[in-house]
Amino acid sequence: MKWLALLLGVGLSAQVVASDIINAKQLLTDMSSAIQERNFDASFVVVKGKGMEPYRWLHGKVEDSELEILSRQNGAGLEVVRVDNKVTYFEPQTQPYSIETDAIAGPIPEILFGEIGSLSNSYDFVLGGKERIADRAAQLVRLVSKDEHKYNYWLWIDIQSALLLKAAYVTQQGEVLEQLQLTHISVTEQPAPPLIELSSKDFPMPLASLAETENTQKLQNNWRIGWLPEGFKLLKSDRHKLDLNNELADYFLFSDGLVEFSVFVQRPLSGQRASGALSSGATTVYVHNSGAFDVSVVGKIPTMTAKAIAESVTRPL
Amino acid sequence: MTQSNFNVKDGQVTSSIFDAEQALDNASQAQFDADKFARYALIGDAMRSQQNQAPCIDITASMADALADEVTYGEQAPQQEPQKVRQEDNVVALSNWRRPLAQVAIAASVSLVAVLGVSNYTPQEQANGDFPVLQSTPVTGSVSPVSLSSEPALESAEKGLRELQQQRIGALVLEHQRQSRMAHALTQQAQEEKEEQKK
Repeated sequence: MKWLALLLGVGLSAQVVASDIINAKQLLTDMSSAIQERNFDASFVVVKGKGMEPYRWLHGKVEDSELEILSRQNGAGLEVVRVDNKVTYFEPQTQPYSIETDAIAGPIPEILFGEIGSLSNSYDFVLGGKERIADRAAQLVRLVSKDEHKYNYWLWIDIQSALLLKAAYVTQQGEVLEQLQLTHISVTEQPAPPLIELSSKDFPMPLASLAETENTQKLQNNWRIGWLPEGFKLLKSDRHKLDLNNELADYFLFSDGLVEFSVFVQRPLSGQRASGALSSGATTVYVHNSGAFDVSVVGKIPTMTAKAIAESVTRPL
Repeated sequence: MTQSNFNVKDGQVTSSIFDAEQALDNASQAQFDADKFARYALIGDAMRSQQNQAPCIDITASMADALADEVTYGEQAPQQEPQKVRQEDNVVALSNWRRPLAQVAIAASVSLVAVLGVSNYTPQEQANGDFPVLQSTPVTGSVSPVSLSSEPALESAEKGLRELQQQRIGALVLEHQRQSRMAHALTQQAQEEKEEQKK
């Protein structure tokens, strides 16, 4: 009898392992559809080192159109509004503008609202333990980078509703750099009143073409970027002036689906300056002074990765 | 009028001016203690808890001091300085020890090597393993342009450069944030184009 039980046990645990592999991905897919289907009013905070940013996040469906509001509650403020496939950003000191896309680019990577499968080239989906987050039972799912050049992303998903409860950027050494934690969520039958108001409002037209605007020009082989971490693709390259200080920069945008980084090549500032890095939460800024030009890399990538990218930029032969 | 008499009166005059029981004229102004008056006003504000009009505490001087002490961007000199000082200290210690006994001198030189060895080891390790940190001010994900432009006019060339670089970094972070908002849309666009090409 004993050996039968043992055999059964082994068989069962093997089955559990097999279903775990499906589950991690399935959970993420469930989460993405839960976020898109449900009416909810949530508050969360983003914690970066000693800094903290509170947000409110409303989502709902009104007569077949999907509505979403994300607003930062502290400081200068930021309000992002989505009506179906049009996302409008309201920020101080700039005109509101719209982008034609189906997800808000906020503290939560957009890929989590969409087709997660495309991440499997760069990340492994690993099921973690169960925990209590925001007074709910949550399942940990880890996106583990396949190499050491990227951070890992951990998500805690509500077992009951499949909604996201917590997320964090974690280094290869297991150190949490930046985390997002829901402090309150209420799932309702009816969408919240501010969302219903949205459907009657007008928003600016989406930017005509994403890649080109008035004072930008396409870049063609101006610079050679010698090294990129595995899985990152060039999304955009141009030459344009930066908003804040009107400085001209050759610009490159790369993404692996989960995180993005920017490469800027600019004329060097005068004076002797050493290359160096600074960071806030998961975001790294690495400034490399290569003599004739300055290369800066900004993104949610480890300092070593940003350094390697910045130092690999050369003039084309 | 004696000095002590004057001092007692001094506080009373300030207080009564503050309570509007005495007119502020030339005679009273001579005995008026401005510091005390400001303190009374502050206490009054705090007790009425007028926190909207925060008590005015002048911190410009302390801020200027703090800024003056702040490490210059990418400057590595301060890291090396402590090492030098330690080296000199050790040399002095050795020459003191050498006088009384040769044996002690040998022992001291051994410990000197040990100390130097250790002090040399650590900074090198730091220099190889890590990067100089550019600034201590954290860049939040949301760089507010306000904090960047509200700095006063440049005072020295060095400070100016540092500011320029900080401003540039602020601009880079903001630009990255703006551009990466389009990343998702761009990825989708690229995928759609690929699918169309396949057809």
